[in-house]
Amino acid sequence: MNFFDLKGLLQPLGAVKQLGKKPHTINYPYETKRTADRYRGLHYNDLEVCIGCGNCSTICQNAAIDMINIDGITAKNGDSGLRPRVDNGRCCWCALCVEVCPTGSLSLTKDYIYVTPDANAFLWTPGVSNPDAKNNISFTSDTNLSLSMYQRVPMRELDGMERVKSFAEVVLGYSEEEARAEAQRCISCGLCSNVCPDHMHIPEYINAIAQGNDNDALKIIYDNNPFPEMCGKVCTRRCEDVCAIQVRGEAVAIRWLKRYATETAPTAQKIKDIVNPIIAEPNGKTVGIIGAGPAGLTAAYYLALRGFDVTIYEAQSYAGGMTMFGIPKYRFPLDSVKKQVEYMESIGVKIKYNTKVGRDISFEEMHTAYDAIFVGIGFQKAWTLGIENEDIPGCIAAVDYLNIINRGDSFDVGKKVAVIGGGNVAIDGARVSARYGAEVTILYRRRISEMPADWEEIEGAEHEGVHIAIQTIPTRIIKGENGKVSGIEYLKAEMIADENGGRPRPVAIEGSETILECDTVIGAIGQEADYSWLPESFKAKIEIKRGMMIVTNEFNQTGDPKVFAGGDAVNKTADAISAIADGYMAVKGISKFLLGN
Amino acid sequence: MDNLQIENNILETIKTAFKVEGKVVREKRVEITAHKQLISSILLFAKNQHNYIHLNHITCVDWIEDGEFEINYIIWSPTTKNTLIIKTRISRENAQMENIDNIWDQANTYEREMREMYGIEFPGLIGEHEFILEDWDEMPPMRRDFDTLEYATKTFYQRPGREDAKDVREELTKQSGEEIPEFAKKYSREK
Repeated sequence: MNFFDLKGLLQPLGAVKQLGKKPHTINYPYETKRTADRYRGLHYNDLEVCIGCGNCSTICQNAAIDMINIDGITAKNGDSGLRPRVDNGRCCWCALCVEVCPTGSLSLTKDYIYVTPDANAFLWTPGVSNPDAKNNISFTSDTNLSLSMYQRVPMRELDGMERVKSFAEVVLGYSEEEARAEAQRCISCGLCSNVCPDHMHIPEYINAIAQGNDNDALKIIYDNNPFPEMCGKVCTRRCEDVCAIQVRGEAVAIRWLKRYATETAPTAQKIKDIVNPIIAEPNGKTVGIIGAGPAGLTAAYYLALRGFDVTIYEAQSYAGGMTMFGIPKYRFPLDSVKKQVEYMESIGVKIKYNTKVGRDISFEEMHTAYDAIFVGIGFQKAWTLGIENEDIPGCIAAVDYLNIINRGDSFDVGKKVAVIGGGNVAIDGARVSARYGAEVTILYRRRISEMPADWEEIEGAEHEGVHIAIQTIPTRIIKGENGKVSGIEYLKAEMIADENGGRPRPVAIEGSETILECDTVIGAIGQEADYSWLPESFKAKIEIKRGMMIVTNEFNQTGDPKVFAGGDAVNKTADAISAIADGYMAVKGISKFLLGN
Repeated sequence: MDNLQIENNILETIKTAFKVEGKVVREKRVEITAHKQLISSILLFAKNQHNYIHLNHITCVDWIEDGEFEINYIIWSPTTKNTLIIKTRISRENAQMENIDNIWDQANTYEREMREMYGIEFPGLIGEHEFILEDWDEMPPMRRDFDTLEYATKTFYQRPGREDAKDVREELTKQSGEEIPEFAKKYSREK
């Protein structure tokens, strides 16, 4: 070998040919590789979207998720105020929690590196501990491909044009199979129970239905609602508005499931057999109740169960109050009312029909005769329209009209009907008239989206051929030659934005007078209570403000400690379930007042 | 021309040869359901006669309600770029299935996994019984009657600092004052 090895010296220079080429080695500074699109890294929770239903915590197979209170988040309707905290030491990143998150707030991110010497630092609250991770989300849930079921089992109904031929019930109810399938969609969080005025045990009875135990479901329902078939058919169901599933899908059909459970007991005797209520021994105390509406009946039922001697005074010939006389029979059939009242009577509730307090018995007499009194008078008196000629034949208040029809009498509405108002009562008046073959127009001051009626009712009316004339302000009723209604004059309105930030107001357009020919005008702009039964001497104690009876505590006690009140005349929501809740709370109050417990 | 001609052809061929049920799921995907004794013959037939030379997966589903496991062999042909899924059901009791690692070597891995995770025996299967799980003496964990939550709770201790956890239903009833009757509580959500 030569001392001077030219080849050996020059060969390393061959590496020069690689100059300018992309190196195969790792770059410096280090570049991170792109993580896979659906990578399941550390959790992130959008705290604003999360409603604290706890479904993530329930599904976790590693018991790694807790629901905790965190600063700055408080409970409200439809939000428990709790948020998930994850123990990353236990998590296996299966992402079931993300899959079942009904709101989609929980997701997994592309972050997967977290190094710390402190083992307890692995316990963290997604969204609070890692707010920046929202820009790095990778694994999210998809409502189309999910373990949760976002679509409701559809309810079968009579066809629109079939419905107007009779007063047959429109909604046909779930079959057993449909009810089980629908009940299984519930995630049992209980957000619904919180907004229910009566706090019914919704997750429990739905779960009982899902498991095939209808009797248990009915028993749970009767725990604090003695009028559930009515609620199952016509409740305003605020529960469904906050259902966790409705955030991204259709709310669980809570109302229809309750209806299903109640329909499994077709007679009063059957209800009694299933509910099998424990009736306490008579305790010697008597309670008088004014009005057999939902509030009065509820109070009566639970008082009777607790051993009180209860008598209801009802001015009409049927019990049920507004649910009996105000709701058309295609929504709430007579048999349903009868069955439930019969059941209540069977456990000892006494009802004196056709007995009006203030006419057939004075309030003073009642006050002396009973140890406590519950007032559930409701809103019976319709507001007047306040326009010319509203007292002529052919002009009637919707509540009076519905009352006449529901008690089985007849009222000739003629060929054309105008209904004034936009609430459920107005829609009821319109749909009943449509069933008598009339051509119906609803006159409403605002837009359809602002109608207080249930959207299902509005849609139902439209399917039945009811015309809704929006932004119309009635000005006078026109008297025909025979002295009866021959038409109604109205002004068209335009919506003017409210300067104070309220909802837009309808303002009449001058010169836009239009005349709608009609034979009947039905007014449905609201109702109020009638206090003619209440003697002046009591008004000092039992306060009435703006037409509402004032109660002084959660037990619905009035200024006169012996007198309790509930229902439309007391609460602002004026629906049946609130009335039931009032009745239920009054029972607790009366027990406390008379028995001290 | 019918778009699904290739799919229909292979389906008809296998149906005629083995008298089995099947359907074209969609383009490039055919599904066959067969008795477990026919599986190796169908796989060999598809591999040798129709060039389904690639074994994608063997998967298992626990149909606990029916008392059966479903085993799915997913194979693929590079000529037609078609996937063939061959399904069979076996009893959950003493679950046994024919070993097919003589058709595809890599089936050995899937079968060992199924043996460990579902407790399905493959007579003649060579390979360590311990596959992924270490010192496992519980029920095979992928069986649906295995309670993962219970196992995790008893096996792994709870980290301190989690005592403030709340039950959502309980918290909500506190907020509203709702009183759930005792007999109804069995229907409340599990804590």
